[in-house]
Amino acid sequence: MTDSTSLEEATEDNGVLALEGVSRVYGTEVLVRALDDVSLEIRAGEFLSIVGPSGSGKSTMLGLLGVLDLPTEGAIRVRGTDVTRLADAERSRLRGEAIGFVFQQFHLIPHLTALGNVETALLYRGLSPRERRSRAMYALEQVDLGARHNHRPVQLSGGEQQRVAIARAISTDPGVVLADEPTGALDSQNAEKVLQIFDDLQSPERAICIVTHDLHVADSARRKISMLDGQIVADELLGAGAGS
Amino acid sequence: MATAGLTARKVRTLLIMLGPILGVSAIVAAIGINESSKGHLKAKLQELGTDLIVVNASAGLGFGQDPVIEAAAVARVGRLPDVAAVTGTRQLSDIVTVPFAGAEDYYRAFPVPVIATGTDLPHTLDVPLVSGRFLNDFDEASGARVAVIGRDLADEYGYLAGEARTIELNGLEYGVVGVLDWVLLEPSMDSAVFLTFTAAVNDWNLDDPDPSRLYVRAPEHTALVAKEIPTVVSLGGPDGANASVPTDLLDAQSQVDESLNNLTKMMGGLALIVGGVGIANVMSISVIQRSSEIGIRRALGHSRGTIAVQFLFEALVVGVFGGILGALVGAGVVWGVASQRGYTMVLSVAGLVGWALVSVGVAVVAGLYPSSKAARLEPLETLRLG
Ligand SMILES: Nc1ncnc2c1ncn2[C@@H]1O[C@H](COP(=O)(O)OP(=O)(O)OP(=O)(O)O)[C@@H](O)[C@H]1O
Ligand SMILES: [Mg+2]
Repeated sequence: MTDSTSLEEATEDNGVLALEGVSRVYGTEVLVRALDDVSLEIRAGEFLSIVGPSGSGKSTMLGLLGVLDLPTEGAIRVRGTDVTRLADAERSRLRGEAIGFVFQQFHLIPHLTALGNVETALLYRGLSPRERRSRAMYALEQVDLGARHNHRPVQLSGGEQQRVAIARAISTDPGVVLADEPTGALDSQNAEKVLQIFDDLQSPERAICIVTHDLHVADSARRKISMLDGQIVADELLGAGAGS
Repeated sequence: MATAGLTARKVRTLLIMLGPILGVSAIVAAIGINESSKGHLKAKLQELGTDLIVVNASAGLGFGQDPVIEAAAVARVGRLPDVAAVTGTRQLSDIVTVPFAGAEDYYRAFPVPVIATGTDLPHTLDVPLVSGRFLNDFDEASGARVAVIGRDLADEYGYLAGEARTIELNGLEYGVVGVLDWVLLEPSMDSAVFLTFTAAVNDWNLDDPDPSRLYVRAPEHTALVAKEIPTVVSLGGPDGANASVPTDLLDAQSQVDESLNNLTKMMGGLALIVGGVGIANVMSISVIQRSSEIGIRRALGHSRGTIAVQFLFEALVVGVFGGILGALVGAGVVWGVASQRGYTMVLSVAGLVGWALVSVGVAVVAGLYPSSKAARLEPLETLRLG
């Protein structure tokens, strides 16, 4: 399924994720052009935010960046490979390896413990149960929840659940973490803590991309993408964020 | 709280297992009971011997009288080359039997057949005496008031072996000289009183000592002999007779059982199919309920195939456990029925495994639709709803 030429391209630049002329049209009778000919490249180690009014296509774009959805037109490149041409198994494997997700609604599996939730991301990767467990524990410790690994989602606060979700996203050591309004359901104190964690997680090997309504959050990033009506209207590098 | 969802799922899992359990257990039980009773029947046929012929006199052109087989005809049957033994009997009517005088009120409710018989009945039927002796030639010649009774009647009247007892027949006292063991082919004899023909003629105004029924033992060519007997009895005259081999009837009875068993098997098959539909149904609902979990796992990199396999695996588990439990329940039913009816249990392990596997197959086929539905879910849509 994978053609070797596109895999070789992958190593040529440091773009981890890219959209090339991507459009996404929803619906069959009433067509909604949620994304209109958008191109965007996320490079290793970047910390970027995506802002824009409601309905401007932020979530749609993030879904496409994370290969959870397929575009109506255009290509999505993960480490250089156009995933729109891959079979599902291969696309899923790439998604699991290269990308970590964090959602506004946390989306933890309710009947699993914190540890079980993180381990879910490590399944089907040829890891032994012990290895899986220790990597999941390590990820939980990174978000300061090692002691709570046996707790189920209902036993955790919203902020803690979101931190478990972050641990799950980074447990596979992905090149990029995509977050759709990760602080949207949190109070300001918890939001602050979650943002701090994102800040700590960003490294030369790992890009972070956050969709947000919060201008404070947006400005803590080093690169800010502004959207309107399914198009990118501004792509700025922020001096303040780059300094830290 | 957190485990509520899981327990609910456990109960649900048990509920959807009911289909395969019912189906497999019904089929296994039907087959097992059928095989066991067939085995029992075979053993019983062996025990009874398949060489006994029962001949009943049938009404000729004569008036009024009950049909009988005349002494000359009995002798002709006895002279047939393949006939080893012949005994004639005749049931007497309107005799009230009680263990002692004055017990009528209590014992009238138990009808006791009174049978006049030749003296070699135990030999012909190949049935031993439990105690005492059978009627003999002296009894026959003298017309003495002696009787032999069936084993169940002896129990009913509380007779002890070796005890000198009498029995009252319409107020006439007869001495009981022996107790005949159970007669498998003629269970009515188990509660009967046997007298000599002479006593029957003397005391019960029988016109002549002719039997209405013959028991004929023919070890060789049984069927052929049974076919000849009516002709030999009537010799073209008006008196007729029907001959039958009772063990043939038992065989026919087993055929009836067979069709009943087929019905049970069909109902078991139906239960399996309905169970399969139930699995498909419940799992489809489960896919909807767990769609957000499916979306999450897709986002974490689990492929459509992985999701499909997980749901198929759940169906497989239901099928395997349903099949095993069903086979065990079915085997239990067979055991219960067999021990209640005194059969030896016949149950093939290959059959148990086979039907359990059918349940697995049904469950997996039933799981195909829900699991493909789970695999086709669009992750982004399920996450938006969740
Ligand atoms: N499954 C869908 N079917 C039809 N239209 C959709 C679907 N998903 C999104 N849309 C439409 O596409 C447009 C972009 O939606 P999107 O969710 O990307 O916006 P957003 O920028 O994330 O908004 P918000 O800030 O409110 O989350 C909207 O007009 C929305 O109504
Ligand atoms: Mg959105």
